[in-house]
Amino acid sequence: MVTVIGFALYGFTVGYWRSPVMGIFVAMKMPLLIALTLGCNGLLNGLLGILLGSGLGFRQSLHALLSAFSISALILGAVAPVTFFLAINVPSADSPQAASAHSAYLLTHTFMIAMAGLIGVVRLGKLLESYSSSRTVARSTLAAWIAGNAFLGMQFSWILRPFFGSPRLEVAFLRDDPMKGSFIEAVWGSLERIFGGIPIQGLVGIVGGGALILIFIYQIRTERKKRKP
Amino acid sequence: MNDNNEAETTPSASPPPHPTIQEPLPENLGIRELFEALLRRPAELARHKVTEGRSALTGFGIIAVISILVFGFVLGTFAYGDQLWAAPVKLVGGMLFAGLICFPSLYIFSSIAGSSASAAKMGGLLAGMLALAGLLLLGFAPALWIFAQGTASFGFMGFLAIAAWLVALAFGYKFLRTALRETGATQSAPLMIWVSIFLLVTLQLSTSLRPILGRSDKFLTTEKKFFLQHWGDTIDESLVASPQKKEDKIEAKSRSGRGEQQNPYNN
Repeated sequence: MVTVIGFALYGFTVGYWRSPVMGIFVAMKMPLLIALTLGCNGLLNGLLGILLGSGLGFRQSLHALLSAFSISALILGAVAPVTFFLAINVPSADSPQAASAHSAYLLTHTFMIAMAGLIGVVRLGKLLESYSSSRTVARSTLAAWIAGNAFLGMQFSWILRPFFGSPRLEVAFLRDDPMKGSFIEAVWGSLERIFGGIPIQGLVGIVGGGALILIFIYQIRTERKKRKP
Repeated sequence: MNDNNEAETTPSASPPPHPTIQEPLPENLGIRELFEALLRRPAELARHKVTEGRSALTGFGIIAVISILVFGFVLGTFAYGDQLWAAPVKLVGGMLFAGLICFPSLYIFSSIAGSSASAAKMGGLLAGMLALAGLLLLGFAPALWIFAQGTASFGFMGFLAIAAWLVALAFGYKFLRTALRETGATQSAPLMIWVSIFLLVTLQLSTSLRPILGRSDKFLTTEKKFFLQHWGDTIDESLVASPQKKEDKIEAKSRSGRGEQQNPYNN
C-alpha cells in the first residue's frame, strides 16, 4: 500500500507538467511498473535468493524487494509536494521554452528517482546481510536481483512509456504499438548512430571472451581461498 | 511451496538464528520434496539413496522436461506459427540428446576428479542438474516473453536466450560440483572441462536444430554449420526483414558512412 501510494503521488507530479491527465496516467503507471517487474521476475528472484544462499525463500524474497521499493516510494512520496511545486513553476509544455524546461524537468526527476532507488538498494543490502551467512552471499544476491529487475524494469518502462511526456507528442496512456521495440535496442541504435556503426560481432566476441576470463579468474581465486588453512 | 522452511513473516522481522538444524530428508521423496531438496539442500540430496534410484531420475526428468517445454514455448512466441510447438520440442529433444551423449564423459571426468558415485547415481545427479537449469530457465521465461513480443532482432533475442542458458547452466554446474564433492570428488578442473564440453554441445545443438527462433518451411535443416558461423550470419538479421528493408539498411549504412546522421526519435 505504501509503495502504491508513494509511487502514485510522485507519478502524478511527474506527468502533471505535461497535463493533469498525464499526471493521472503516470500515477497509475508507476506502481504498475513495479508490480509488473516484481510479478514477472518473482520466480527468478526467489530461485536466485535460494540458490545464492541468502536464506530467503520465494515469499520472503518478494517481501524483501517490496520493502526496498517501499522505502524508495516513501522517499519519492515525501518529495512529491516539492516536485509538484516544480511542475507548476516550470515553463509550461506549450511555451517557447518547453524544450529546455522538459530537459531540466527530466534531469531533476532522474536525479530524484536515482537517489530514492539508491537508498532503497542500500537498505535492501543491509537486510540481506542480516539474513545471509556472509557478506559475499548478500552482495551476490543483491547484484543478481538488481541486474534481473533492472533489465526487465527497463523494458517495462519502455512498454509503459510515456512517463514524462514529450511536449511534441500527444498525451496518451500508452504509445501506439507499445510492445514494439525494446529499450536496449533503442539505446544500442543510438550508440550505433553516435559512433557511426559498431562491429557488433567483434563487440560480442570481446564481451563473451571477457566474461569467460572473469569466470576463470573467479574459479582460481575460489580454489585458492579454499586451499588456505 | 515451502511451508516448512519459510516463515510467514516479512524479512523486516528479526532474522532467523544461524545455523538452523534441519530434519533429515525423508526416505521417499516425491517431486515436491525433490524440488525443495534440489534448491535448498543439494549436498544432502547427493548423499541420499534416492538419487541412485529410478524415482529421482523420473522426478528430475519431469521437472526438466516441463520447464524446458515452457521455456521453448516462450522462445517460439518470437516467431509464432509452427515455432510454437517446434521450438519446445527441439529444446527438450536437444537437452535430452546432450545429456545422453555427454553422460559417458561425465562419468569418466567425475571419476578422474575422485568421485566414487555409481553410474546410476551419476544419472540421477545429471538429471538433477538439468532440472535445476530448467527451473532457472522457467524463471527467465516471463522476462524473455516480454522481450520476444517487442524485438524482431535475431541477434538480440538469441543473446537473451543464450545468456539465460549460461546463467542456468552455471547454477546447474554448481549443483553438480556440490553433489559430486559429497561422493568423494576433490578436484574441480575435470568437472570444469566436462561442463565446457556440455556447453559446447548445447550451443552447437542450437545451430544443428535450427531454426529455433526463426521461421522455416522445414522442421530441421540439413546444412552443416558451426554455431559461431551461424551466429555471425544471423546476428544482424531481423524477423521482419524484407528485401526492401535490407536495401534500406544498406542505404542507411552508406549514409552513416558519409556522416549523415538520422534523428532516432523520428523512427
